[in-house]
Amino acid sequence: MWSVSDDALVAGVAAGDQEAASAFVRRFQRRVYGLARTIVFDDRAAEDVAQEAFVRAWRHAGAYDPRRGSVVGWLLTITRNLAIDAVRVRRPVAFDPVALVGLDRVSEEREPHELAQLSDDTTRLRVALAGLPDEQRRAIVLSGLLGYTAREVGEMEDIPLGTAKTRIRTALIRLRAALVEESAE
Amino acid sequence: MSVLTCAQVRELAPELALGVLGGAERAETIAHIKGCARCQAYVLELTEAADALALLAPEVEPPAGFESRVLSGIHADRRRDRRRWFGWVAAAAAAVAILSVTVVRVVESGDSTTAAAPTTNSAQAPVAVAMHGGAGDVAAGWAYVSSRHGVAVAVNYGIPAGEYGIQVHPVGATPVVIGTMAVDAGRGSWTGRSPPALSEGSRIALVDTSGREVCHGTVPAAE
Repeated sequence: MWSVSDDALVAGVAAGDQEAASAFVRRFQRRVYGLARTIVFDDRAAEDVAQEAFVRAWRHAGAYDPRRGSVVGWLLTITRNLAIDAVRVRRPVAFDPVALVGLDRVSEEREPHELAQLSDDTTRLRVALAGLPDEQRRAIVLSGLLGYTAREVGEMEDIPLGTAKTRIRTALIRLRAALVEESAE
Repeated sequence: MSVLTCAQVRELAPELALGVLGGAERAETIAHIKGCARCQAYVLELTEAADALALLAPEVEPPAGFESRVLSGIHADRRRDRRRWFGWVAAAAAAVAILSVTVVRVVESGDSTTAAAPTTNSAQAPVAVAMHGGAGDVAAGWAYVSSRHGVAVAVNYGIPAGEYGIQVHPVGATPVVIGTMAVDAGRGSWTGRSPPALSEGSRIALVDTSGREVCHGTVPAAE
């Protein structure tokens, strides 16, 4: 089962294959639980969210469309949405969101042409984020990873709503452009 | 028809892609992109970048026994779904008197629940329709169509609270609302009858009070 592609694994889950379901959980549980814990903080609540994410993925495995994106992206979107719903009281972030995802450790000395040589999609993303101004990077991590709305980002960063929206929008557009540019090289 | 222009949608597209756009702005943006291929493509491009952000979260080993608890949860969900589905089937059958007890018992062969459906001529087993909606088009729930006129709909994810019409759109015919459903805390269900016959390619949708679709599914071929 370890040699099966992600898409084939999901197809097995959709067909009710018990082995595929077990392999699916084993393959993605660290990512799903890791994301849930990043957003909800509490271990117990994170486990509940992660479990529900797998149940939903199983339930809707037949609807997964590989043309729309990767299996891990689909699964983590489900996880992220469940985690955000689970956080009933959105308290202000008491830590640096950029440090949370290790972006403070990304070397900013890489030459742009080096980006194309990176094989890890996550590393490319981290480097692209490192190229953003600090305030945009914080805004996109708060919003895109942790699910804070523009209004919440504005309140936490003590900036007007319009400024928060602009930072989020600009950051995502620049991120997209950087990722597309690197993959085209 | 959306009240937003393409320029306005391009402004809102990043927040929609990130899943942090709410309320009327979200509904209107979705309504626009459903009818605008260019804006839809733009939102999809941004969604790819937005979804990638979730990959930044550190991988963490879950507590011991997590895998077995998840698999138990899946099995429980399968049993719960079967009972819930059976409840819908029984209700639909009571409403339209089209399913035989034999058909229901064959489908529920693993379940000890006894059938309550009235006995009439046997008909084909219900056809399951996956319902999709919301930003990122995440699966919102399921609909079941039995013998072309019996309809059961249930949503449990991603639909804001409110009143929605159940709209059916047979191929080559005009759409018609056949009932209304209240969604509360993300969940809602409805069972009833579609006067127009539904078959492969027919569309089932939940529409808000403005007539905009919030989720939809297309009836597949019956097995």
